[in-house]
Amino acid sequence: MIDNISYKKPLLETPFHSKTSELCYSNEWYRWGGYKIVKEYTQTELEYTAMRNTAGVLDITPMYKYSVKGKDAKKFINKLITRDVANISSNQIVYALWCNENGFVVDDGTIFCFDDENFRICCAEKNLIWFEDSAIGFDINIEDITKNIGALAFQGPLSCKILKLLEAKNIENLQPFYFDNFIINKQEVMISRTGFSGDLGYEIWCDPSQAHDVYDALFSFNNDYKVLPCGMNSLEMVRIEAGFIQPNADFIPAEQALRPNRMKTPLELGMSWIVNLDKDFFTGKVALLKQKSTGVENKLVGLDIEGDKPAHGAILYNKSKKDIGIVTGAMWSPTLKANIAIGYVNKDYMKIGSKVYAEIYHPEELEYRKIWAECKVVKKQFFNNPRKNATPAFV
Amino acid sequence: MSKYDSIIIGGGHNGLVCAAYLSKNKKKVLLIEQKKILGGLTKYSDFTTSFSKKVIKDLNLESYGLNIIENNEDIVALNLTGGHTVLGLQKDKIYFKSTDADNEDQKSFLKLLDKYKLFAKSLSTFMYETPPRIKSGLKKDLFKLIKMGWNIRKLGKKNTREFMRVVGLNIADEVEDNLNDDILKGLISHEAVLGSNLGPRSPGSVLHLMYKQAIQSGNLFTNTKIETSNLINSLENLLKEKKVEILLDTKVKNLEITNNKVSKVILEDDKEIFAETIISNLDPKSTFFNLVNAQKLETDQIRRIKNFRQKGNVANVLITLENEPIIKKYKGNILNTTFIFCPSINFLEHAFNHSKYNRNSKNPSIKLNIIKKEEKFFIRANIQYIPFSLEKKEINEKENIIKDVTNQLHQFFDKIDIKEINLNTPNDIQEDIGTYGGHWHHGEFEIDQMFFLRPFYGFTQYNSSIDNLYMCGAGTHPGGGINGINGHNAAKKIIQDYK
Repeated sequence: MIDNISYKKPLLETPFHSKTSELCYSNEWYRWGGYKIVKEYTQTELEYTAMRNTAGVLDITPMYKYSVKGKDAKKFINKLITRDVANISSNQIVYALWCNENGFVVDDGTIFCFDDENFRICCAEKNLIWFEDSAIGFDINIEDITKNIGALAFQGPLSCKILKLLEAKNIENLQPFYFDNFIINKQEVMISRTGFSGDLGYEIWCDPSQAHDVYDALFSFNNDYKVLPCGMNSLEMVRIEAGFIQPNADFIPAEQALRPNRMKTPLELGMSWIVNLDKDFFTGKVALLKQKSTGVENKLVGLDIEGDKPAHGAILYNKSKKDIGIVTGAMWSPTLKANIAIGYVNKDYMKIGSKVYAEIYHPEELEYRKIWAECKVVKKQFFNNPRKNATPAFV
Repeated sequence: MSKYDSIIIGGGHNGLVCAAYLSKNKKKVLLIEQKKILGGLTKYSDFTTSFSKKVIKDLNLESYGLNIIENNEDIVALNLTGGHTVLGLQKDKIYFKSTDADNEDQKSFLKLLDKYKLFAKSLSTFMYETPPRIKSGLKKDLFKLIKMGWNIRKLGKKNTREFMRVVGLNIADEVEDNLNDDILKGLISHEAVLGSNLGPRSPGSVLHLMYKQAIQSGNLFTNTKIETSNLINSLENLLKEKKVEILLDTKVKNLEITNNKVSKVILEDDKEIFAETIISNLDPKSTFFNLVNAQKLETDQIRRIKNFRQKGNVANVLITLENEPIIKKYKGNILNTTFIFCPSINFLEHAFNHSKYNRNSKNPSIKLNIIKKEEKFFIRANIQYIPFSLEKKEINEKENIIKDVTNQLHQFFDKIDIKEINLNTPNDIQEDIGTYGGHWHHGEFEIDQMFFLRPFYGFTQYNSSIDNLYMCGAGTHPGGGINGINGHNAAKKIIQDYK
């Protein structure tokens, strides 16, 4: 018997579910925001390769989508996020973080500007209560529109080419962090040039009723170009290469953290480039100004690790074996042919080029091999292809 | 250069007291009041029994026309079935004039009151202090905290233990352990929950009682009282002499805040006034949501303000009578007496049940005084529980309350010829004065809204996270009642900050 109690209900299915479940050979599911989406279709590495060499299709419908409409929408966004959106234009998107009063990151996401009175916020975690409390005093209306929109990420060097073949007019001239409406397979959909792969890529936003047509269209040239559906595991690989942060992996959202000292500020995440401290007011400004003057205690950096064994969850040490940090995400990068990781190091080691050591426990058939690997502190953006920002896009 | 050192928004008694202290310290003060008369919420009360003696002495209010009335009034706990319990007052000492309770009960009742008085007195030493900050790291604050602890520990091992036992307790458990007589139980319970959103079985009601006593320097009932109109007049006289400018009938639209600092006060007619410090005598919710505007507040702060419990539960009734009323089975003087109708704990708990679901009590408890003014008789009564509600109320809600109240009154009045009833529910009080929720104390007295947590984290110590914005209303430590301590404490803090 299926109860009406939310936690007893089965996970929701996205509008693409009938398509993705057909393709999901491994039957491996991932739980995100009350939905189930595919973790791995056939093989993670294969899906990763598609995203890096042709194109991959990811179902990102569970991403929380909030519509912010009203007279004060722009003012509200400017109070909420650390960036300044005073000069944002229609059809533009910004990547942003929002903090609490202590400057700790609540979440990150992309903010779509339709016009000055109509915005959309897309983020990985639930934020409605935070937004609604922040919105007190503003003449706006916030609505959770997650289930009204189906979303696909279409990432990879051939993504533009395939969209062009699908007769999306002028798609190659869509600049990074802009969106517009296009017609593909007779369906009018919104396409934004955003993504989580650090390469050329698009995100397609459609009505749930259009979901099947849009999904099928993306695979219609598979005779020539091998487009693959990709699961969350492969997304994790590309996002580490691109140096993108992930809530609950690289930082604990401030609203969820149980221990106050586990939250992180944008400066600690190495995101000071999207913190505009000249802005008149935003939540967390006072605390961030203070932290800027005192400096951070630790910081999220990229690590280039010797050897080929990924440093999952490794603890970082300095030369005298004092622990100075932790790895939050690690992998062997097939594209870069390098052993990379992102992690926190304390303030003495956050300069690019610093040397630290990782203690890697590599599982080898019921036994662990302990590896003491030297790491070099590098920029987080390991994979940074000029294709990402080139306009017109690579066709 | 601004013309004023300070602007006080809100001409309630605390605003007046704060203005008086500041002007006494040679500050140029402007006081803005939205109504045509000063006094704010005090107009809903004819007398105050708790006005601070220290403030009267400091400001020398008696030379400005303040008249302290010393009278040993009686407290009557009405009983429908037996004889009324009449308590007399002799210099703050309570004794039984007549009662149905047996000797043992009388003794334990007085013992219980003595116990609360003792505890309340040790609490009352914090009333004139700016509450310390726990994590400030300052020696001064640490010393204050130790002093607070020591004041309680000083009671002795047995008493400290007893204090710790009762401080979180509900009043019903406490009186049921000690008393047998329903009327006496009802009387204490009623006093413990009056003006709060607590029922007799809500935890913290004992603390509420002790805290209320602490504000009145330890006494539950006192034998001195001041007419509120007389109090406001004398304060007004004082301010006029000190050349404090008073703007009546002027509404503040909002405060302009730039870079986390109040820069100016904008009036309803868009006139701008500058001052170094702005002091709000409004309740915390109105201060931050109406004056400051939540747009300039951090989300966590908004949450704290939003979650501040400030829901009024007491309706105020002024009944004009045709002639002298007669109370059943009561022979004494009706004029100099406080009547309390709350015959048992269960009666009060049932009244509270309605309030839990935002409904008005069918059988509310009543505390009333009969007043004779120019040969006319009036009844001033407080009706509990009539909760404040944001929901749309039924259309004839007020008629229903009046009907319930008159039914209740007819139970213990032999003769009561009502000419006119003027009912003010918490919603009416909010509309009239502007106090959110129509709450007497601008916020509940509960352990998480007291001392260094009043009104909420980050806004204690009379100032706020916004520079130059201070608060002096009842929403700050120590809290409500017509006592003027908040105004005194806020002024003390502001003057300290000037130095």
